[in-house]
Amino acid sequence: MIRFKKPRPEPKVSAGSMADIAFLLLIFFLVATTLLQDKGLMLQLPPDVPPTETEIKNRNLFKIRINSKNQFLIEGEIAADLQNLKSDLIDFVLNPDANPSLAESPEQAIISIKTQRGTSYANFIEVLDEVKEAYYTMYGDRVGISSREFRNLDRKVPSQNELYLAGREGLPMNISIAEPDKIN
Amino acid sequence: MRVKKKSKAETEISTTSMPDIVFLLLFFFMVSATIKTEEEQLKVTIPKAGALTKVEKQFLIRELHVGFPRNQKLGSAPKISAGGKLIELNSLSNWVQEQKTSLGEAYGDQMIVLLRAHEEVDMGIIGDIQSELRKNNARKILYRTLEES
Repeated sequence: MIRFKKPRPEPKVSAGSMADIAFLLLIFFLVATTLLQDKGLMLQLPPDVPPTETEIKNRNLFKIRINSKNQFLIEGEIAADLQNLKSDLIDFVLNPDANPSLAESPEQAIISIKTQRGTSYANFIEVLDEVKEAYYTMYGDRVGISSREFRNLDRKVPSQNELYLAGREGLPMNISIAEPDKIN
Repeated sequence: MRVKKKSKAETEISTTSMPDIVFLLLFFFMVSATIKTEEEQLKVTIPKAGALTKVEKQFLIRELHVGFPRNQKLGSAPKISAGGKLIELNSLSNWVQEQKTSLGEAYGDQMIVLLRAHEEVDMGIIGDIQSELRKNNARKILYRTLEES
């Protein structure tokens, strides 16, 4: 009599729970990690050398002051909000009508932001943001793109780098941050 | 004559590739993330701004936090922390020098200090930090902000 061998069942590892294990790990890493955040407002501080006396004509200086009560003083006038700041800044820097009280040339224009001890950081950032936005709008306008597009230019791509350099040429971002004053 | 009905097409979606997809996601998060090492000691809510720019060389970034302590015993004055530890203003220059050394000679002077400050701290402490940074020739500063929607 011929006996047929029963085919032996092959030992199998169930892969059905693999997804569950992977999900568990995934959730662990999602919870336990933070992505490196690298977006913000960049600024270059001046070198720490004894101040040298350089004469800057008053017309080339755009003064923004924020006092300890968080009130804004823009070019000697009290401002309730910062709505017009951006357009004022663009007018000041470019000075299209050659107004004798505005900047002589875009290179010479300096935006000075001065705060006091007691000024809140949020207000300072708000002003700095407006100033930067004004400059990026000017850069973008020169090469025919929006401020946002200009900020997102990738300098590793040659064609975009060209746009970047063309936009910034002869229009330096002169932002001066004075040390906060003591409250009198 | 009866036409034989075609067998219905199977409508089930195969789930065998599910683990692969999940693993892919898992690896993405493992690679792109850094593990939170210490419990945050300071409460920091960063301000919002619109004109944000991105840093291209991320390895140049070193982080400083400024905020109010969570622990009531530490008082209510804003404090500075770096790498999960509270540091005093006068030891800030040590910290800057250490970080610069860690970047090596070629990149030390290009270090970018990322300032993550609570929106309600006053400019006094920010100014103090800035003057310390200037003294130590770490002059690139990035005010970390959230994107305005």
